[in-house]
Amino acid sequence: MKLFKYIWRNATRNKLRSSLTILSVAFSLALMTVLYGYLAMQNVWSNEAKTHNRIVVLNKQGFSGKVPIAYVDRVRRMPGIKAAVPYSWFGGTYKDEQAPFAQFGTDAKEVFNVWNEYVIAPEQLAAWQANRQGCVVDSRFAEQRGWKIGEKIPLKGTYYQFDLQLEMVGVFKAPQPTGSLWFHWDYLEEGLKSKNALLSAGNAGAVYAKVERADAIAGLCQSIDDKFASSDNPTRTQTEAAFAQMFTDMVGNIQAYIRNIGLAVMFSLTLVAANAMAMSMRERTTEVAVLKAIGFSRGRVLNLVLGESCLIAAIGGLIGLAIGGGFLQVIHKSAPQYFPFSIGDMAGGWMLWIVGVAVGIGLVSGLVPAVRAAQLSVVNGLRRVV
Amino acid sequence: MIPIKYNVRNLRVRWMTTLMTVLGTALVVWASVLAFGLTDGLNHALDVTGDKLDLIVMRKGSQDEGSSGIEQQVARQVVTLPGIARDAHGQPMCSVEFVTILTQPRRANGGTVNLIVRGMEQAGRALRPGFKLVEGRDIKPGVNEAITSKQMAARFENLDLGDKIDINKVDFTVVGYFEAEGSAAESEVWTDLRDLTNARRTPGAVSVVNLRVADEASKQAIIERLQTDQQFGLKAIGEQAYYDEQKTASIAIRIVGYFIAGFLTVGAMFGAANTMYAAVAGRAREIGTLRAIGFRRRSILFSFLLESVLLCLLGGVLGCLATMPLNGLSTGTANWATFSEITFSFRFGPAVLLQGLTLALVMGLIGGLFPALRAIRLNTATALRAQ
Repeated sequence: MKLFKYIWRNATRNKLRSSLTILSVAFSLALMTVLYGYLAMQNVWSNEAKTHNRIVVLNKQGFSGKVPIAYVDRVRRMPGIKAAVPYSWFGGTYKDEQAPFAQFGTDAKEVFNVWNEYVIAPEQLAAWQANRQGCVVDSRFAEQRGWKIGEKIPLKGTYYQFDLQLEMVGVFKAPQPTGSLWFHWDYLEEGLKSKNALLSAGNAGAVYAKVERADAIAGLCQSIDDKFASSDNPTRTQTEAAFAQMFTDMVGNIQAYIRNIGLAVMFSLTLVAANAMAMSMRERTTEVAVLKAIGFSRGRVLNLVLGESCLIAAIGGLIGLAIGGGFLQVIHKSAPQYFPFSIGDMAGGWMLWIVGVAVGIGLVSGLVPAVRAAQLSVVNGLRRVV
Repeated sequence: MIPIKYNVRNLRVRWMTTLMTVLGTALVVWASVLAFGLTDGLNHALDVTGDKLDLIVMRKGSQDEGSSGIEQQVARQVVTLPGIARDAHGQPMCSVEFVTILTQPRRANGGTVNLIVRGMEQAGRALRPGFKLVEGRDIKPGVNEAITSKQMAARFENLDLGDKIDINKVDFTVVGYFEAEGSAAESEVWTDLRDLTNARRTPGAVSVVNLRVADEASKQAIIERLQTDQQFGLKAIGEQAYYDEQKTASIAIRIVGYFIAGFLTVGAMFGAANTMYAAVAGRAREIGTLRAIGFRRRSILFSFLLESVLLCLLGGVLGCLATMPLNGLSTGTANWATFSEITFSFRFGPAVLLQGLTLALVMGLIGGLFPALRAIRLNTATALRAQ
């Protein structure tokens, strides 16, 4: 600790150089904070999904396969299932918009038993259950769009040959933004039958079910799939977390890509920092010789140099973490449906890891100059004119 | 004008510092060019897919082929429209197709993702750019066979020659691999129209009609006719426009790429500045001498900027070269327009490499500017006295 003051003085001697190194480390580690923050978010997300004991029944062939509506009742009757609803992606376009947002046809009586952590005012729920063309919307999404209770929401069918004329009768509050709209599955079904679109009728799309106990999930998934295995529409049942993972998987090996970039950044930074440290030490050759002449041991000289390089890199790392964290928070505020967690929710070991990386960069980058300084011959050092 | 040799020699004398800076820059340029090459590859796959004279006919309101559905009789009517191009045998270049999505496991635990299976007629092959079989043979209709591309076989389980794909409990045997100039068709599995609709238990179902028109004039006529004629009531859009709209996935990757490149470049800029400041500080006496023998401030500024740019460009070139082994490497991601896999190859073309070198140039210019300014502000007399 006695050395710290000396290290600090050394680090602040060439303020320009140290600042540049710190900024270089800070900017690159800010990038790493954002990238690893993204990975951390996915982790938090799937852990979130695990706590609610929900399972998803899909056609074995994937989204485009049919899940007959009768399956909902059959799943619902199975022991260990608390509630089950159809959950059919409508994918309609709103007014002149090109890209559809999330709209699902479901069962108004049961859906809030499956998503029991979502909150809706009882009178709004009653209003929805009573109104065949009614729909409920994620409160944050409704606010973002400026929709009020009573808003007419026409949705033009893309996949289904039927247009929905919906009226918003309530909003529900979800822990994380979902950007979803729920309407009556029956309304869509009747519409399809009236249009004689029998091929797409009778399809629940997917069945979402709430399981009573977490330890029953694996067994239930298996027995649901066994039940329908020999039917025309075999199913694949998985946990909500595994289902969400499918979308992550679709993007491809993003994780590997992020890690590779992280590695390149680390190498690059080590070189930059090592360069700066080597330049500093070259200018101080005489000084190091003097230190050794007055009795500083090799180890101490080594520590002095390593201490300085670590200090500089750690400061850069902390600043980088702050910039990166701020950036994540901005993304969270501006696009909550893609980035539903604030930086506070995601805080964890990975942040320490970023700082650890910074210190590691400091250590490695200081190593060569430090060993050189420690091994410097006193006589030569004193003789050398810089 | 100070000769460039002066700068080259300086870089060589301080070779350790130069090497470290060059390597640092090279890594940054490498990572950025990688991101740019990814976007370029994806865009290329979607670009070559679209032919100016090709139309995709689907149901009004449909956004993509998978969500479209046309009645069979209506689809057969489309084939008879005037203005459709003819092939060498006088047959209309028009293909009635059924598109569906299957969930299949990727190799090496890459997760289970969607892939497009397309049931089509023989005529559809001529509508894809440069379609040719490269291994095995083409399918025979009626016996449940399928063909796909080598990239797909490399990415998915069950797509080797002789493997069977299960579609609603009907086994389709993979009998061949095709190429189509790296277009989006190479991300699909093809089989016979009737075999596929029968397996899906939707006999007679049609998703889209793909056709080639004879010329621009008949293109407009056909689009008009399909849109307004009550008999059809369909939507026809140019293939190019259709695939342009699917570039959303690549836009996201591009934004991420620019973001990464931006942060890294700024970080590396500080590193370059550090090196140049040291170079200026260590050469005070030289700068003084140059001033004393009559070099103007302007040429000294230029000389130091040049040195900095040279330093970073070396790194840039090295970084670009380091991406070369990855050129053509096949990869894949989700096409969010169809929710299914699209395969493509990294492409480091001239435009992409130029972007990488531009990054290096910017690093050198901005990183070298302040040190160079410091160099010309030195007082000649004091500088000459420096050690």
